Amino acid sequence: MSAPLTRATATRLLAERLRHEVVVANLGQASFDLHALADRPLNCYTFGAMGQCSSIALGIALARPDVRVIALDGDGSLLMNLGSLCTIATTAPPNYALVVWDNEVHQTTGGQPTATAAGSDLAAIARGAGIEKAMTVRGEDELQRAYDRILSEPGPLVVNVKVAKGKSESGLDRDVIGGPRRFIRALAARGRQSGAS
Amino acid sequence: MAGVTAGDPSWSKHVADVLRRNGIRMFATVPDSIVTQVLEHLGADAACRVVTVTREEEGVGLLAGAFLGGQRGALLMQNSGLGNCVNTLGSLNVASQIPVVLVISHRGDLGEFNPAQVPMGQATPKILDALGIRSIVPRSIAELEAQGDGLIKLAYTRALPVAFLLPAELTGGKLG
Repeated sequence: MSAPLTRATATRLLAERLRHEVVVANLGQASFDLHALADRPLNCYTFGAMGQCSSIALGIALARPDVRVIALDGDGSLLMNLGSLCTIATTAPPNYALVVWDNEVHQTTGGQPTATAAGSDLAAIARGAGIEKAMTVRGEDELQRAYDRILSEPGPLVVNVKVAKGKSESGLDRDVIGGPRRFIRALAARGRQSGAS
Repeated sequence: MAGVTAGDPSWSKHVADVLRRNGIRMFATVPDSIVTQVLEHLGADAACRVVTVTREEEGVGLLAGAFLGGQRGALLMQNSGLGNCVNTLGSLNVASQIPVVLVISHRGDLGEFNPAQVPMGQATPKILDALGIRSIVPRSIAELEAQGDGLIKLAYTRALPVAFLLPAELTGGKLG
């Protein structure tokens, strides 16, 4: 059994390996950590619409099949939009990966348990939805192997990452209009290539 | 359908054509018996992508992503689905100025046979107004053609959602 991961460590380990990938972060903790540890124009932070992180990322992936898109969702948020897993399976974009920070609580609102605390298995749900490449990882070694796959294999992939409870130590300017525009410009400026990279 | 003139069956091609000639190529839907007539035209067009989602709100998120990625999108649904979209339309599209075109068949209004459709049917224009979503209610193909291009242009000028609310006078409704 590996040491328990924190969301911040898992975020940093991903950020160290990013090149030109798009990263879409869930509202709250996922966006706070990503902004603090690895702010970059190809990060798409979200501020509202709880549950929609995986769907927003799916839309980007369908619109830009030449760019690899990684969503950083939370267990509470994905539980609100489980149908998204079915749509990911149905559309099956090869340039799409969904990472879930699964700390088994609604962190932002005070740590109330989510269904994953009682045993709901998001990777199994994803497989049941029709996504073959769905896994749960614990510890840095397993996480790095999952990142290897996300960054090299055709998707879609779902990687449920068991992380420790705890709030982000950072915040985020809630520039709800300017933030998305910075992202739109950065993605548009990244000209279309052949194949995801 | 008492009190309502049956629609000219070509209405659905006019709706599809208004969307396509304004550069919309990405479509999300939870179909009903009315908007499916539009989807038949879009689905037969190799230039268009139609994604059937599990819940309308998911389509709003998906099309917001498509816009962030440089593609215009439209969500085709029944007005019952508008209720499923309200929070995302408000806290994502309106808050962050992300446009989307909503194409909504209007059940629960003139000639409705199903009592369960009526409360949302009557609330629909007020929900759109409460979110500040500009809408048109074309009652004929002539009205659709006169207003449709301008509505879509406004969506992208203003960077906000707009709605085509399609009444039974245009579509013929659902005949029970």
